[in-house]
Amino acid sequence: MDVIGVVASVAYQFCTNAAFLLLCALGLIIILGMMNIINLAHGELMMMGAYAASASYSRGAPFWLASIIAFVVVGMFGAALEMTIVRRFYGRELGALVVTWGVSLVLSQGFLLLFGPFMPPIQIPEGNIALGQYSFSYYWLAMFVVAALLVVALWWLYNHTDIGLQARATMQNPAMARALGVDTRRIYMMTFTLGAGLAGLSGALLAPTTSIMPFMGQQFVASAFITVVVGGATNVVAGAVGSSLLLSLVKTPVGFFLGAFLGSVALLLAALIIIRLLPDGISAAIQRRLDLRNRIR
Amino acid sequence: MTDREVESHSEVALESSDSVSADRRTVVKGIAAAGLGAGVALPTYLRGFDYSAAAYGAQTSAPVKMGFIEDESGNLSVYGIQKLHAAQLAVSEINDGKTLKGAPDIGAGVLGAAASIAKNPPVISKDGTSLAIVDDGGDKSPVDLAYVEDAEILIDSGEKGILGRELKLLSSDGQSNNAVWQQLARKLIQEDKVDVLVAGFASAEREAIRPIVDQFKQLYFYTNQYEGGVADANTFCTGPVCEQQVIPTVQYMVEKFGPKCYTIAADYNFGQLTAAWTKAFIPLVSGKIIGEEFIPLSVSEFSQVIARIQAAKPDWVMTLLVGQNHHNYYPQAAAAGLKYPMASTVNMAQGYEHKRFAPPSLARMHNAIQYQLEVPTARNRAFVKRWMTMFPDDPYIGEMAQNTYFTIHLYAKAARLAHTVDQQKVKRCLEMGWTIEAPEGSVFLEPGTHHCAHPIRLAYCDEKHNVRFVRDWPMIQAWWLQRLGVNLIRTPEFKQYTPDEDPYFKMFAL
Amino acid sequence: MASPFSLLNGSEDLGRGPIFWAGAAIVIALFLAVPLYLSDFAAYNVSYYLLNIPMALGLCLLWGYCGVLSFGQVAYFGIAGYAYGVIAGNLVGQSWGPALGSLGGLIAAAIVAAIFGYFVFFARVQMWILPILTLVLTLLLETFLGQTAGYQWRVGVVQLGGYNGMTGIPAFQIGAFVLSGYAFFYFAFCIALVCYVACRMLVNSRHGKVMLAIREDALRTEMLGYDIRVRQWLVFILAALLSALSGLLYVQWGNYITPSQVGLLSAALPVIWVAVGGREKLLAVVISTYALNWLNYRLASSGNQYALVIIGALLVIVMVFFPRGLVVTLADLAGRRSTLSKTSTARAHG
Repeated sequence: MDVIGVVASVAYQFCTNAAFLLLCALGLIIILGMMNIINLAHGELMMMGAYAASASYSRGAPFWLASIIAFVVVGMFGAALEMTIVRRFYGRELGALVVTWGVSLVLSQGFLLLFGPFMPPIQIPEGNIALGQYSFSYYWLAMFVVAALLVVALWWLYNHTDIGLQARATMQNPAMARALGVDTRRIYMMTFTLGAGLAGLSGALLAPTTSIMPFMGQQFVASAFITVVVGGATNVVAGAVGSSLLLSLVKTPVGFFLGAFLGSVALLLAALIIIRLLPDGISAAIQRRLDLRNRIR
Repeated sequence: MTDREVESHSEVALESSDSVSADRRTVVKGIAAAGLGAGVALPTYLRGFDYSAAAYGAQTSAPVKMGFIEDESGNLSVYGIQKLHAAQLAVSEINDGKTLKGAPDIGAGVLGAAASIAKNPPVISKDGTSLAIVDDGGDKSPVDLAYVEDAEILIDSGEKGILGRELKLLSSDGQSNNAVWQQLARKLIQEDKVDVLVAGFASAEREAIRPIVDQFKQLYFYTNQYEGGVADANTFCTGPVCEQQVIPTVQYMVEKFGPKCYTIAADYNFGQLTAAWTKAFIPLVSGKIIGEEFIPLSVSEFSQVIARIQAAKPDWVMTLLVGQNHHNYYPQAAAAGLKYPMASTVNMAQGYEHKRFAPPSLARMHNAIQYQLEVPTARNRAFVKRWMTMFPDDPYIGEMAQNTYFTIHLYAKAARLAHTVDQQKVKRCLEMGWTIEAPEGSVFLEPGTHHCAHPIRLAYCDEKHNVRFVRDWPMIQAWWLQRLGVNLIRTPEFKQYTPDEDPYFKMFAL
Repeated sequence: MASPFSLLNGSEDLGRGPIFWAGAAIVIALFLAVPLYLSDFAAYNVSYYLLNIPMALGLCLLWGYCGVLSFGQVAYFGIAGYAYGVIAGNLVGQSWGPALGSLGGLIAAAIVAAIFGYFVFFARVQMWILPILTLVLTLLLETFLGQTAGYQWRVGVVQLGGYNGMTGIPAFQIGAFVLSGYAFFYFAFCIALVCYVACRMLVNSRHGKVMLAIREDALRTEMLGYDIRVRQWLVFILAALLSALSGLLYVQWGNYITPSQVGLLSAALPVIWVAVGGREKLLAVVISTYALNWLNYRLASSGNQYALVIIGALLVIVMVFFPRGLVVTLADLAGRRSTLSKTSTARAHG
């Protein structure tokens, strides 16, 4: 075995695992962090994103445009969902969980009845680099970069815009934010729209690597939920990044050397242990660290 | 085919003997059945055999009830809806007074085919040392098969429905949920008292309802391709099984690409058993398994699997992947630049991955199938045309849909011969052994094991996802249960055999 | 110490007073008289609706009375079913095999619930995390059971069977008497009834009040000196035991279990039953569990592709418009008209 090849291969797998987890979880964790709602229809929103991308791609749109269309379409659907259903469940976290589960059942079976069992596939952008006996897909490497860019964009949105400031205020203390004139309902709606849109975008980005069908959402949910639970809701961006990197760090070696099943077992065990140690997730730990440093300064 | 040729093939079957002689001989016989399965024309005394209701007098005009369960909603609905359409097409044809050609093979156990005559049947090695094909019958034309068969198989039955009674399809939705399957099977059998039950996609669904079928001695058809081994006096399995697909595939792949095989298989019954078959029979063609990996059904991200395959450097990859998560392997492997030839027994014919994925995800895929939409025969084109007239929006016709179609016609024919829909009598008639002309070719229902011999074709998928057939075997028997001594006519059984009951597998695969 | 009847007639469940109890007696009599008006087959189906009730009651206690939502109750259902299959399957021919198997199933489910519960409750995780973790646990269990098709997964003479499931699981028997047909129906009915009565007495007891206090305000309850972690943990184990009871009845009913019984779709069902009925009242959950199982069977047997859409839409509509649950809302309406009777909805089937 050539050492460089193995090292590069493990690094590559680490990147794909992390990118996969991050893309799965991003939309979910934004909604969770802002309004403490777990959106169980998250997988179905990703499915809708893949459908929108497939529909526009098969009508001749280039892939990047199809992804943006998916972002917009699913974001708009998310806004409609928020206004009709989710809005009634603020403050009732468990109720929101259950109602979004109902939405997911309706969406997946409804899409089957409306659009049939399969959508036309999206051609995976070609190209790979070979290193020793291993070859690596450009597409997954690009996914890693895109995931990183999305994180940077979100960080910028939360920390350097007015809306981001209002959002953080709402997250910390909704009543106080309202008293200071922040329209929290609007913030909630925008957050849900953004979260849904990101789910749609992730669905579109992952669509070339998968078959596009009504029940495809199910394959993402377990990974997404574990990432979110480990990440926690205190600091959305830090949580998502920290959790997906940490979990990938656990999953990659176990999966590579011991097989795929033990890889997923390791993922759950890691999640249970991390939660036992850090009940509020990684993001709370990171946030404490940040706060501490600010205070010292 | 002349008599002399038949003789030469029988010789092949008897040659070959060494340490594992008993086992190997049976293997060879199974494959040599390809040679035997031709040339017997339909006996004239059965042609035009007219079982119309008028002749025998219908005792009742109430419809004949066919119970039907498939998953029309939920995860497996992709396949269930296809099978439902197949059943609807067959039932409407039967009620319009049509039937497929075919007749019982008098003299149970004799392998016969009613109309399919190969010009150049494959010749299996005469040295007796390996299973290599020394003459595959010449180049196969990409647009047509090398043997001649009846172009039109749908003929008049002489009556509307069965015995003058309408055939009624009682279809219900299993919801991809095994508990619902059990409830529905009980309802159809106990409450609706159906005359015949056609049901089941996943093996788990079949195993869920089979105890109920046996409890009420219900005549039951399972039409899916599966892992094999069901020996059940009430169950007829009309789909192909491992031995019919794995061995031709392995043989071709080793011959063409080399001995080193890497198997990735779904980590459940079907995948594990098919992998065991691969492992047990690849030594016969001097191949070897250099890596074997089982992947949980929930895995949808394959970069680690791809890395391990690259490290092993096989000549070809056996991909026994099942389910929507696993289908992601193909685009991901293509993107990672994996260019190994692939073989499978499930892809294309069931889930039409070559239509669903953008090329070249499935390029270089080989699969020994008994039917898929592209089978380039006139009779199949006519069948596809009839189907698409009835269901113009359907994306594909897979093997299990075709199986359901000919199975329902087969049932109608057997009931006509029995002059009744009494289940035990129809079962006796089915156990005459039948040859029926299906869209795939001539199918032979082997009476003792309740399984079917099928024509097998090796489908090859090119870079542009066009399918060509690169080799064909006019008929391969489902011989494994025979080898285990199963004869359901003499000794009724109600179990599923697994390879650990076969000493041969212990040597190589378990 | 409260008397048994005052516990039974307490305020924490629907229905008090003579008219309610008269109605309840009629319903029980109707069930006991099932052989007079239902066929063997219909009684068999009714057994299936009934055997789901303990699991739903467990989730109702956990979610409605304790404020802890679990999406993974089917995990304990499956663990008990598989454990029973292994133990009873190895003791075929012994009349005490099924009883021992049932005991083993309950113990196995309790152990898993205790370990899992220890991690989540003693870590004091936030309440939205628990549903996710329980769901992930059950999906992982499904993955594990799905890959047990190989021969190394043979316990004694019983093959775990992978995705095809475990077949030929023995029915329950008392002495030499094997429960099937109407006998099994009575067995399932008695267990469902006993579970309901026991849960009803529990929620009206002192411990029940503490559970409610935790649901209403965990912090205050803790300040009053109750260890809420232990309380929640115990209720979690109790709910797991109730699920296990359903799992045992299920394998004794169908003689068969597969990993999909602990899969995503199966996991959704108990939550739907509890939410649609009204999670804060046990009786509402019993009624909705029975009615929804009946509805689902009707939809499936008519070959209706809209079954999942209808069930999902029903869940959404109930959650949005009747957040306290359909049966509870109806009972309130009835209760406003007369404070006495709530039995009219108790007979959801024909």
